[in-house]
Amino acid sequence: MLLSSLLLVPFLGTLALLLWPSSPSPQRLRLIAIAILSVQLLLSLVALGRFDVHQSGMQLVELQPWVPGIGLDYSLGIDGLSLPLVLINAALSLVAAVITRDIDKRPRIYFAMLLLISGAVNGAFLAQNLLLFFLFYELELIPLWLLISVWGGTNRTYAATKFLIFTAISGMLILGAFLGLALLTGSVDFSLTPVLSERLSMGGQLLLLGALLIGFGIKIPLVPLHNWLPDAHTQASTPVSVLLAGVLLKLGTYGLLRFGLGLFPEAWAKLAPALAIWAAISVLYGSLAAIAQTDMKRMVAYSSVGHMGYVLLAAAANTPVSLLGAVFQMVSHGLISALLFLLVGIVYRKTGTRDLEVLRGLLNPEKGLPFTGSLMIVGVMASAGLPGMAGFISEFLVFRGSITEFPVATLLSMVGSGLTAVYFLLLVNRAFFGRLAITPPTGDALVDTRLDVRLAPVAPRETIPAIALVAAVVVLGLLPSSLSRLSEVATTSMATASQLSSGLASGLASALSAGGVG
Amino acid sequence: MPIIPAELVQANPSLNREEIQARLLAGQTLLNDSADHLLQVVAVLESYGIVLDAYSKNLIYQAEHQFLNPLALFKYLDGDLSPAKIWRHLNHDRINFEYAEYCMKAMLWHGTGGMDAYFDGEAFAANCERVIAAKRRRDPLLALLHPLAPAFLPELIRTAATTHALGQFWRVMSDLFLDLAAAERDGRVRSIPAVVDFIKDGLVAAAANPIQYGVSIGTEQFWILPPEANLTFLVDVAVPYVEAVFLRGTPFLGTVSFNAQAQQISPDQAQFTYGALYADPLPTMGAGIPPSLLMQDMYRHLPEALHTWYLQRSRGEGDVRVKICMSFQKAMFCVTNAAINGTMPHPLDSQDPVQRSANAAYAQAWATRLAAGRTDCLAL
Repeated sequence: MLLSSLLLVPFLGTLALLLWPSSPSPQRLRLIAIAILSVQLLLSLVALGRFDVHQSGMQLVELQPWVPGIGLDYSLGIDGLSLPLVLINAALSLVAAVITRDIDKRPRIYFAMLLLISGAVNGAFLAQNLLLFFLFYELELIPLWLLISVWGGTNRTYAATKFLIFTAISGMLILGAFLGLALLTGSVDFSLTPVLSERLSMGGQLLLLGALLIGFGIKIPLVPLHNWLPDAHTQASTPVSVLLAGVLLKLGTYGLLRFGLGLFPEAWAKLAPALAIWAAISVLYGSLAAIAQTDMKRMVAYSSVGHMGYVLLAAAANTPVSLLGAVFQMVSHGLISALLFLLVGIVYRKTGTRDLEVLRGLLNPEKGLPFTGSLMIVGVMASAGLPGMAGFISEFLVFRGSITEFPVATLLSMVGSGLTAVYFLLLVNRAFFGRLAITPPTGDALVDTRLDVRLAPVAPRETIPAIALVAAVVVLGLLPSSLSRLSEVATTSMATASQLSSGLASGLASALSAGGVG
Repeated sequence: MPIIPAELVQANPSLNREEIQARLLAGQTLLNDSADHLLQVVAVLESYGIVLDAYSKNLIYQAEHQFLNPLALFKYLDGDLSPAKIWRHLNHDRINFEYAEYCMKAMLWHGTGGMDAYFDGEAFAANCERVIAAKRRRDPLLALLHPLAPAFLPELIRTAATTHALGQFWRVMSDLFLDLAAAERDGRVRSIPAVVDFIKDGLVAAAANPIQYGVSIGTEQFWILPPEANLTFLVDVAVPYVEAVFLRGTPFLGTVSFNAQAQQISPDQAQFTYGALYADPLPTMGAGIPPSLLMQDMYRHLPEALHTWYLQRSRGEGDVRVKICMSFQKAMFCVTNAAINGTMPHPLDSQDPVQRSANAAYAQAWATRLAAGRTDCLAL
């Protein structure tokens, strides 16, 4: 019942907000949403408390036949792969609600959509049935589309439509792959088990895995399917960007690990070298594109494209260390990108711009945004993978786990990691160092140095969510065992299981030939 | 191109050279006369006066009691070594005397005026020899140090002399600024022109004050700046001080890269314009920037009326010290204005064409230097 409550609380909360009698003020609605999301976070922590780290399989399982005719069961479970993601979803949803201020239109629907997304994401991470996963995966789509298209920036309709088209195609491909699995195996059992795919020919497996790769590749997103992400981020409001980067992209990487690697280990092993190259291209392209950006938010968005490539690299390598690195990367990217978007949001709110050709010297101690700037430097250091912070642990694990399998792709990805420092130092140097200004340089140094800038101060409460995220990033960086304890058993068994099933045939043949039998 | 809200950025008009020259020759003040300006200038100078009092006492204490002490650990304590005082010092509940030393070094390094000329003379060198010989008899460390680095102790003596002279200068200025605040309270000073006149009169009255400095080593007395050097307040200390601290200054260690990024470092190395009248107030309270120390000191002694006035503007308490720096710059323009008026070669109302052209040339020379300064603070 615990896992169901992780769905019930946000969903009932959505209903409660929509049906709340009278018309509460936006502030009250925000407080209600924060209360509901706090309960969700508490329940996630209870799940953490009940979780047995020594077990590799699904825990706290709940199974209820729903529509047996089409193979749809209400089947929930949690393991070392999904638990960190459920936790990060609960935390970042709460952050998103907390940082929502000055909501100007339809606050009731806004907060209801926020809760709906949070519940749907929980559902997708917990679902143990392919169709149930798909239901939740699609359920999160419309609220997010609304959040961008109603509460977004000036070009929001374009960005929201683009997001909708891309993600709808992603959903169709995933559904197609799931249905294709049923069609090719002749079974309507959609429960999550790799046994199904073993009845398939390699061609069928590759076809279905290909559909999943493109479907989840759009969501992650991987180059060249990433096109919707920078636009969506640029137009979305800060809380939506926090959710999008922190949680929703993880649906893609989670799906890739759970369904791509989990269901089709043999085909995965065949495609792995190509996937590793794809990952390296994604990393390098995302990083190079980020260097070229002048909008702070677009830069962070492209950095997401690059950093999600590490997860694909780790999944392609499919070693115990690299899969643990993938989980770490999902969590640390969730925290770090949420932090960066949040800080960019503060800069935008205070200065009215995110343009790196206009912003300068924001670190100014009295007239600028010194504390926000300091947090930004911490976030940037974490993203660039400096030791002592979460980004270092995840990148180190990914590279250490992958370099034995795909040395070239790993080395190329490491270059991407170096490029992270390049573009984020560009960002910090342009926007935060030098003399304070929020106007384009006039070309006349005397005029530029005589501008008086009057930015509103950042209230301490505005930075509390960012401080919490920085604390999480540092704690995870200094005590990585807190997360690896949760996931190590699951990722190790995942790597072993998939290697066993993919390596069984060839391993047997080589053993036989070595013994002189063949 | 992003649309920047107009209220976030403000560009003040600057005064050009012709305007400055015209104002100086017409006897007008550089700083526009307004009630806000009067409040800022008088109140900031009052807090500056309180701070200068402490600086002055400490500089004179250092020059007299820490003379030729190469390890002057307690030089900021004014001789009070009680645990309470040491605790307050370590806890940074104190005036930042480092800023006073910083100004002293700017004066020493830029070296203009009669005192610097005296330092280069034989009389001073002979004095140094006598002082060092007397000191070496009592201090084995100096006895060892002097043969190893013969230029070191004379440099320390020059430093001590500059320290003492600056202490004497600030003694006068501190009293003058506190008197100004009292005069404003009494209603004797009601406008910016009156402020400039008040300061000018104070400077002129003290112009001929002798600047002297002697030390005692054991039972012996030695002159470092003897009466026969004929050093006086205005020409030999005040003018070099204005030159060194208001005009030339030094690029602060903490702001070199800041200045370079803001294109504030002139490609012409001879253009040495880093003094108070040219300083950008924005990096105030940045790490390692000496004026931040002064602003912090003035903040501790800010008159309530000005503090309230600041709190009503922009960020309130958040950027008070930058605002103090901006007001301080206005006040320093008034002091410079008074110094120029006081040293004008001939009366401004003279009808003699030769005198008028001499005045014009004098005003033009100043206007050329000041036009590159932060004259944008003068209008609003």
